[in-house]
Amino acid sequence: MIDAMDSHLIHDTDLSRRALLAGLGGLAVAIALPLPTRAQTAPPGPPPLGAAAAGANAQTGMVTAYLVVKPDGKLVIISPTTEMGQGTHTAHAAIIADEVGVDFADVSVETAIPADAYRWGGAMGSGGSQGVRRWNDHLRKGAAQARVMLIQAGASRWNVDPAGITIERGYLVHTQTQRRMRIGDVAADAATFTPPDNPPLRDPSTRRYVGQNIPRLDIPAKVRGETIYSMDFRLPGMLYACARLNPVFHGDIASFDAAPALKVKGVRKVVKIQGGVAVIADTAWAAIKGADAVTVSMAPSPQDGINSAALAEAMVEGLGAAQAIPATSRGDVDAAFKSAAKTVTADYSVPYICHAPMEAWSCTGLFKDGKLELWAPTQVQDRSRRTAAATLGIDAEAVTLHTLMLGGGFGRRLMDDGIPGAAQVAKDMAGTPVKFFWRREDEFDRGYFRPAQMARLTASLDAKGTVTGMAIRISGPSMRAEFAPGGLKEGELDGSSVQDLGNLPYNLPNFKLDWARRHVRVTASPWRAVGATHNAFFLECFIDELAAAAGKDPLAFRRELLAGNKRALAVIDLVAEKAQWGRTLPKGHGQGIGFFVSYGSLSAHVVEASVVDGQPRVHRVTTVLDCGDVVLPDGARSQMEGGVVMALSAGLYEAVTVKDGRAEQRNFDTYRLMRHSETPPVIDVHFIKSGETLGGVGEPGVPPTFPAVANALSAASGKRLRSLPLVEALSV
Amino acid sequence: MIELTINGKVHRLDADPDMPLLWAIRDILGLTGTKYGCGVAQCGACTVHVDGVATRSCVIPLQSAAGSTVTTIEALGGTHALQKAWEALQVPQCGYCQSGQIMSAAALLKETPKPTDAEIDAAMDGNLCRCGTYPRIKAAIKRAAGIAS
Repeated sequence: MIDAMDSHLIHDTDLSRRALLAGLGGLAVAIALPLPTRAQTAPPGPPPLGAAAAGANAQTGMVTAYLVVKPDGKLVIISPTTEMGQGTHTAHAAIIADEVGVDFADVSVETAIPADAYRWGGAMGSGGSQGVRRWNDHLRKGAAQARVMLIQAGASRWNVDPAGITIERGYLVHTQTQRRMRIGDVAADAATFTPPDNPPLRDPSTRRYVGQNIPRLDIPAKVRGETIYSMDFRLPGMLYACARLNPVFHGDIASFDAAPALKVKGVRKVVKIQGGVAVIADTAWAAIKGADAVTVSMAPSPQDGINSAALAEAMVEGLGAAQAIPATSRGDVDAAFKSAAKTVTADYSVPYICHAPMEAWSCTGLFKDGKLELWAPTQVQDRSRRTAAATLGIDAEAVTLHTLMLGGGFGRRLMDDGIPGAAQVAKDMAGTPVKFFWRREDEFDRGYFRPAQMARLTASLDAKGTVTGMAIRISGPSMRAEFAPGGLKEGELDGSSVQDLGNLPYNLPNFKLDWARRHVRVTASPWRAVGATHNAFFLECFIDELAAAAGKDPLAFRRELLAGNKRALAVIDLVAEKAQWGRTLPKGHGQGIGFFVSYGSLSAHVVEASVVDGQPRVHRVTTVLDCGDVVLPDGARSQMEGGVVMALSAGLYEAVTVKDGRAEQRNFDTYRLMRHSETPPVIDVHFIKSGETLGGVGEPGVPPTFPAVANALSAASGKRLRSLPLVEALSV
Repeated sequence: MIELTINGKVHRLDADPDMPLLWAIRDILGLTGTKYGCGVAQCGACTVHVDGVATRSCVIPLQSAAGSTVTTIEALGGTHALQKAWEALQVPQCGYCQSGQIMSAAALLKETPKPTDAEIDAAMDGNLCRCGTYPRIKAAIKRAAGIAS
């Protein structure tokens, strides 16, 4: 969903950083721990395909690193991505099943244990809505290699020309003689052939699964309650370790008294870990009781004084500060402003928001003979194992990491802050498996939120109401300073703060974008669609304000700004048509539009909403995505629906406020998420298959939701809403 | 010893009477389909039926469940009309909340075989889903109930 590194840290306004990263590639930037690692020397781009690069995943019947052919002809796919409900494992299965030529029913998927074949640019991880678009061609090629090798093995077995053999539904078929043999029968032989560099790809017309509504592989177990999430994973003799941490960001404890915890039946031990202690017990409940009983004394920290009001003051000051870090500059904005018929300026703000995956963090570890084995729900396999290794002072190669199904990621599991505690308790209880876990309150306390941010947008209009210049100042804390080890140097641009604003699809010849860093050490990390979440809100609400100033309809105004951009016009025209833009609405209802390009895809929504007794009500969302082509149509639809609901929830209700260095919201009683009755009954999803390069799906539908609902509620309420959450903006 | 019936079987548990039913179900009986989400009855991931009523097992101490009949997602067997509808409409994303969602929906349909939209909302509002599968959940409940969407 979120590739921290490609999609926002490596940014068009961030060229020096990009150049620096070219040698590291992909996720590697996040891993700046002192250990010498393969990632730091790996070339950018795709990994080697051969089974030799499969590392610990190697097994009998493995033909290339991504597929194992079992004797009965069933295919086990070793996927380089984390499955967290976004459907990439099923998409990978479809891609490979089609290319090899097997029945989908015969395919299963496992997540790779980190090894070279699964490291794009040197590191294994899942983010940036890259799961399908990045891996599609590579997995297809790997599957084609396997097909060629299986055919070669069959040709040897039958002593015939390989050109006369095809693979159909899991069988090698010699066309001339109609001889048939299961591919499983020659898997071991096939693995001995050299993978061809440029295997021929099957004609797309032979596909049976890609582009079709195939059922997701992970769903049957999920509806039966049989899926093993991290908290459900068990090893014989396993103990439980519940954390008790300083809730202040980056805080630690000064001392603790284990005695009250040890009085709890079942508690074995209290261990100092990063940020606090862990109480180790026979059961999860005993560990929880012990964690509540243990007496801890917090260590004072520089973060103790952080509060939201002071941060807001600093951010407001940043909006007008003379100095800022430049991001993009085109044409002559000052001249455009001087000759303007009209100038419009507006300030916007968004709060910290929490990822709040339904699954709280846990991770099982077993330390034995100087080696650590981890079972973790992570989006960053290599970063996690390096962090575990650095925590224990062992080599990263001594850490084996298994990835479990995630109970939601949304970027939160791109952060590895739950790993040190798991490694520490495992080492302390060497030889015994220990499941380390947080409670919901710890999820909130640890933070790693989408940072708060403000913006001041200024634009000039000529006498015809055409935009002649635009300046955008973003002000606020840096996500990357908290998320990227090594942080962000003073004066360096955090690409996520200005994400996707530098090369807007709108015709803006005179344009200036900069960022005033006003940082506090509230932990922050990529939240589904990252900086695009706030920047789409800032920009697209302001576009509506400009349309109003120009006396034009918001859709017509955008069409003017997009003149000549056929792909973008197709997206907003389709959403307008499907939503019946401009139709007569029930009294009190308003329509709002939002359009944004992120993660390689174009997305536009129209929201219809009203305000009833001060409460926002969303009636309908119409959404369009152009992601080039759609590999898994119903999965993509599901991602769009979910992305819209998650963004509506955040835009309408969610905010983390900080007092005395800690989050004031610690559970779902104070952090409001959208519920069933608040969800719009209709989310009407449409795709445009433009045939352009594959774009992302998991994230691009999120950003335009924020302005679409804000614009709709502004229209409905007659009051211009410029801050989130909207439920608060409406009440002011 | 605390005695209760879980999924049709009588269990006598030698456990801390304060232990929430959730942890007894999960850690003592090994039925891990019921999830921990918040610990304060705000998210519904831990929903089970206690004497037929949808209940947040994370805040029910084992001693108050003594003598009662508890049903968990495992007892639905994968063949329940709701589970079939959930599969047909491809409801789950991450899936973590879905056991609780299905258990709340199952309690609803038992009481109200043909619920209105408002009745569905009322019964389901205690179950959070961060992936945003609410529209599909509602459609799946209607499908299982034989109501046209």
